[in-house]
Amino acid sequence: MLGGGLVTSASYILQGHPGAGKTIFANQIAFRAAERGVKVLYVTLLAETHERLFQALGTLDFFQAGRLGVDVTYVSVFQTLREEGLSAVVKLIRQEISRQGATLLVFDGLLNARDRADTQLDVKTFVAEVQSQAAFVGCTVLFLTSSRIEEESPEHTMVDGVIDLHNELSGVRAVRRLQVKKSRGTAALGGYHQFEITSQGVSVFPRMEAVLAHTSVPDQALHGSVPTGTRGFDALVGGGLPEGSVSLVFGPSGSGKTSFGLNFLSLATEDEPALHFGFYETTARLRAKAATLGLNLEAPINSGALEMLWNPMTENLLDKLGHRLLDAVRSRGVKRLLIDGLGGFERAAVYQPRMVEFFAALTNELRALNVTTIATWELRDLFGPTVTAPGSEVSSLLDNLVMLRHVETGSRYRSTISVLKVRDRPFEPVIHELGFGPRGMEVRVALEPVAGAATGLAQATV
Amino acid sequence: MPLIVIAEDEFLIADVLAMMLEDAGYEVATAAHGKAALALVKEKPPALVITDFMMPLMTGLELAQAMRADAALSSIPIMLVSGAQGSIGRAHPHIFDVVLDKPYEEKKLISTVVSLIGSAQALG
Repeated sequence: MLGGGLVTSASYILQGHPGAGKTIFANQIAFRAAERGVKVLYVTLLAETHERLFQALGTLDFFQAGRLGVDVTYVSVFQTLREEGLSAVVKLIRQEISRQGATLLVFDGLLNARDRADTQLDVKTFVAEVQSQAAFVGCTVLFLTSSRIEEESPEHTMVDGVIDLHNELSGVRAVRRLQVKKSRGTAALGGYHQFEITSQGVSVFPRMEAVLAHTSVPDQALHGSVPTGTRGFDALVGGGLPEGSVSLVFGPSGSGKTSFGLNFLSLATEDEPALHFGFYETTARLRAKAATLGLNLEAPINSGALEMLWNPMTENLLDKLGHRLLDAVRSRGVKRLLIDGLGGFERAAVYQPRMVEFFAALTNELRALNVTTIATWELRDLFGPTVTAPGSEVSSLLDNLVMLRHVETGSRYRSTISVLKVRDRPFEPVIHELGFGPRGMEVRVALEPVAGAATGLAQATV
Repeated sequence: MPLIVIAEDEFLIADVLAMMLEDAGYEVATAAHGKAALALVKEKPPALVITDFMMPLMTGLELAQAMRADAALSSIPIMLVSGAQGSIGRAHPHIFDVVLDKPYEEKKLISTVVSLIGSAQALG
């Protein structure tokens, strides 16, 4: 997000309202730096006592009490500020940086320093002196403060970077977002990025469309076909799905989307690892479902050829999901991917208008990584003329479109499948009936001539 | 009144500590770091020094080492009051007479002080 991290000898303001996560973030930076051999000086003004701080930090994985006073040193300079003023604080900090050999200084309480200053020039002088003293000895500075400092303030104009932490309500949920407002000398990712605070500390999930504005590897046009595992289907699309393509399989509840996807995953091998990235059914239920369908998922799961990641449809973070998916794909070199379904991403979005860009970044990256992807999409209506596929802009990002429907003919419901679009190759534009054989779902015969099958409300043609 | 010097950079802790000791009848002088505390101790040797560990300019350990190296100050009892660095203090029993872990209760503090230098009343 910062385009390579904090710059040595540079100074940053880390700001946010109380509870935004500044202290955790700064301490995490401090302890992680200490692990790399960096000596850290953490200077506080009027704040909670250090013991209270350590108590709170004690619940976080990065905190190591054994480093306190050894390579992460906390000192309070409030009394010096109160009794001797800002220039004495600068002097004390300079002496401490030198005494500790610190190359990272965290200064918590810029607002208090500001309150002690008589004029803006005093503030500017204070920041400049701390900055220059630190820079002289190769020390990076993090000034922590609440968001009361205006953007045009002297502090903002003088530091090399400004990182803003937000904790806001979106509807009934709270969403944490980080923004790099200023970053001299590095190509930081602009805009808001979601983050969360867990026992591991702060984890930031850069916006997919920002971090993957261009794919991580060059895209290559592939010409192979990937078998789907659904008997009879590959013949409809010229031998299988185009290698490295993204297919949308959409249909109402119970029409066979997941079954189609499980067939696809059942062909996972060591050379063609697969991933199930789902939102609806738990792994245990999917395994049971596969067994009922006659599919052997146990062997590829046990051999490591197939991984199943379940994401409960609760309060998800859109970019966390995206990164989780791509991390899982990259770590195992996944070639077959089932996203069940795309709606899980849509529900996680706090800001819906960015979904097109999000999906564009995600699908571009999956193609570039040569992953053949099937994504499912649930149609709202079991029957009817309305097909609520993802927005037309999202659909245009997908290479292949496959529709599943329940069709009522002659007082019988039939499951059907039809191909609406295949990237760069001809396909059979005929609605076929689906059925279940000993090895899962299979395409059977072309549906007898009826009109309106695509709506689920068929009428015999004369 | 017996004098106790407190070396503590966190003013909230220094203030509360001073109040508790004053209530118990002791005279208290505070310093915001080890260096200032050492100056106080040299100026008027106290009956006891209570010090924090992590402080600017001079840590509690450095303060105690400086006192032990000075013949005029070496016999003054020193109490380390610390949280995470208590173990460092205990590793130097020849320097610190006692290590009191944070957080501590007032009773525990006063009883520890009394055990080191006697009660303020007894000392007059």
